[in-house]
Amino acid sequence: MEHVANNPADGAQAYNFAYLDEQTKRMIRRALLKAVAIPGYQVPFAGREMPMPYGWGTGGVQVTAAVIGPNDTLKVIDQGADDTTNAVSIRQFFAKTANVATTEKTAEASIIQTRHRIPEKELREDQVLVYQVPIPEPLRFLEPRETETRKMHALEEYGLMHVKLYEDIARHGHIATTYAYPVMVDDRYVMDPSPTPKFDNPKMNDMAALQLFGAGREKRIYALPPYTKVKSLDFEDHPFDVQTWEDECGMCGARDSYLDEVILDDKGNRMFVCSDTDYCTERQESGHRGPQHHDQPLGSSQSGKAAE
Amino acid sequence: MYVAVKGGERAINNAHKLLAEQRRGNKDVTEIETDQIEQQLSLSVTRVMAEGSLYDRDLAALAIKQARGDLIEAIFLMRAYRTTLPRFAFSKPIKTAEMDVSRRISATFKDLPGGQILGPTFDYTHRLLDFTLMANGQEPADAPSGDFPIDENMPRVLDDILNYEGLIQDEPTPVDENAPVADLTREPVKFPAGRDLRLQNLSRGDEGFVLALGYSTQRGYANSHAFVGEIRYGTVSVEIEPEELGFAIDIGDIELTECETVNKFKGSKTKLPQFTRGYGLVFGQNERKSISMALVDRAMRANEMGEQIMGPAQDSEFVMEHSDNVQSTGFVEHIKLPHYVDFQGELELVRRMRAEVEERLAKLDGKAAKSQPEAAE
Amino acid sequence: MTVQPQTTELLPGFEHAAFDSNAVFRVLLDAMSRPGRIYELPLEMASPDGLNATITATLLAMADMDTTIWLSPSCAGKAATDHLKFHCGCPISTDVKQADFAVARIDDDLSFITDLSVGNAEYPDQSATLIIMVDDIANAPSMTLKGPGIKDTHHLEIKNLPESFHAWRAENHHMFPCGVDVIFASPTKIAALSRTTKVEVN
Repeated sequence: MEHVANNPADGAQAYNFAYLDEQTKRMIRRALLKAVAIPGYQVPFAGREMPMPYGWGTGGVQVTAAVIGPNDTLKVIDQGADDTTNAVSIRQFFAKTANVATTEKTAEASIIQTRHRIPEKELREDQVLVYQVPIPEPLRFLEPRETETRKMHALEEYGLMHVKLYEDIARHGHIATTYAYPVMVDDRYVMDPSPTPKFDNPKMNDMAALQLFGAGREKRIYALPPYTKVKSLDFEDHPFDVQTWEDECGMCGARDSYLDEVILDDKGNRMFVCSDTDYCTERQESGHRGPQHHDQPLGSSQSGKAAE
Repeated sequence: MYVAVKGGERAINNAHKLLAEQRRGNKDVTEIETDQIEQQLSLSVTRVMAEGSLYDRDLAALAIKQARGDLIEAIFLMRAYRTTLPRFAFSKPIKTAEMDVSRRISATFKDLPGGQILGPTFDYTHRLLDFTLMANGQEPADAPSGDFPIDENMPRVLDDILNYEGLIQDEPTPVDENAPVADLTREPVKFPAGRDLRLQNLSRGDEGFVLALGYSTQRGYANSHAFVGEIRYGTVSVEIEPEELGFAIDIGDIELTECETVNKFKGSKTKLPQFTRGYGLVFGQNERKSISMALVDRAMRANEMGEQIMGPAQDSEFVMEHSDNVQSTGFVEHIKLPHYVDFQGELELVRRMRAEVEERLAKLDGKAAKSQPEAAE
Repeated sequence: MTVQPQTTELLPGFEHAAFDSNAVFRVLLDAMSRPGRIYELPLEMASPDGLNATITATLLAMADMDTTIWLSPSCAGKAATDHLKFHCGCPISTDVKQADFAVARIDDDLSFITDLSVGNAEYPDQSATLIIMVDDIANAPSMTLKGPGIKDTHHLEIKNLPESFHAWRAENHHMFPCGVDVIFASPTKIAALSRTTKVEVN
């Protein structure tokens, strides 16, 4: 048998457009159509083994591969940033296997694949947001068995989840879930929003863009059609709230974005910067300045340049 | 002053160069060739084929070389390659009864038709390091052939010998050769899963995981005491029957190890007692894996046998969801990826809760101070 | 519009399998995500006797050996079945209960729709998709749609949709999460009704 011509090491030529074969794409596409028709329900799909590890976005990559066409522009973010190594790696994968345009600008992307964040900029109807999901089952940590959780979803039996959240309140005075905070979709399915911080949950509600979720290892796909009601679970006496910071972004001065903490030394000095790098860059470009901004000409921070 | 660190792309490319350098090692040492791996590390090769679910010795050797001998990484490379291959046919069921046997032993009968054939085995080697191998040793002497030819139709201990008396459960060996067989690489798994899916899952499952589970059944975490009825290792031919031809053609031979266990009997005052079975089948010569697989297969038949689930090996959902080392290694290792957005959320909450507790404690202290003013002095 | 085959000679499928099926899928995904919105078929498509271009493109993009197709008697001519078998390799069943995709014309006897698979409470995705061949799809207020995918309300008009269809649809909507999703396919346009869509007939 001749292997060389089809060896992955030779590059992308031996592979189909966007890596997956057409039959696999059709299987994923059928699952996607069911997913949008049953918002928040986890559709089982025969996830394929991808040339990247499980847990590193194989579900998102398969969804993107099934959705992406030659005229799309792809943006990939991890923790809100385009330049985190895994985001770079996934972007390169599609640049290589699908030869599509890529961008770091939220507004220019037609497909955004994300791990752990929703962009700060409001998404539009002509955009698709693809989430990488590690554990799609919101009830998994309460009940490890799929046979049981499936029944619970079928019977709309979500009491256990409320009990868990309420126990948090009793013990800590707060619901102690800060990310992967469960949501109720269209008053029917409890859904895991993927490990995005709960700060992003309100953005999911009534979003103009289509939201698709892919869990590769767990072999599940789910979706939120545009303009779908997504409500974070809460209690009358403990309404849902999101994270807030006393600080502003050190670079652009934003007070409305999710901030990452940057440790400056081992003496407790720290600053905060926007987790969404495109949002921060755009604000800086339009003249916003935070207290730690270096005020150099923009675009001068070269690859690999060390912090001054 | 703060400048965001950039350059992920360059870092990745450089990391790959470093990795290639490390793989090669000291350039004064001759580079290993894949045919050397294929021939001389043949058990690594067969493990990578078995758990990679792809029977191709050359590719497995390449994967092992590329993975610097990390077999799970090599298995991952095989899987990622396999997934892109078109499925052009399904083979006919292989016939292990017609195996060209290199080794065949039974623990249940001292002597039996076909005989005990020791074949190539580590079993009775004294595990003493052989330093002649390090000194690039001498050519091994040719192994002598036996006096008698090996039986071409080696009787099967379970089907032909025990079942003759009806002493063992009659396995519905595929009556319909064309009946569809489940394939977890093509369809999502649903629970409870059929035995075909369970066996497929075990056969490509992580050897260490299946071994540990098999072992657990021997230590009381499932009660289905097993005898090795038979282990046979050798080659069988694989046939496909293209629709347009209408007859089967031989597409090559594969090396297999098959293990059938004879397990604790079932029966009652009114029902004839019968032994039960476990089954293991794996690419290459791998008795550890095939025996473990048979133990776990039998344990997972608990529901079918009306047994109480008392150990993890009997819990099919648990076993099947955790046996795949490509899945588990990916997910275990993914926690080294950035999680700083989530961690920031936790930090914010923990700081807030600490402040609230401190405030509460301070209030309590204040109250205590007021009620006992002398203590404050 | 529809290309009429003269003989049993096979018509071509997609010119570029990967790109064309992607383009058709994206339209279907948009249509199912935004029930009632009308989308243009993004390419030219030869269609065999019994099917129109939109349905042909939809099936070529979505069906294969893993999906069973049911065709109403008026669609199930030799030209159509040969075309689908050749280009999709899909099994074609005469048992509507087996259908993953069921195809019919709007003026067919639609009584079969109550036999379509609706999935079950644990696996509501194991349901059929109904594709109805229609003459035209218009943005007119004969139906008012609400539900996920719809900002406030949408209008949709499908001429000659029988009363029995609406009765079935209403019942179908109440079975949620079980249910059948519907795709309307005119020779050049696509619109969908997801099982979540609440339809008011005006």
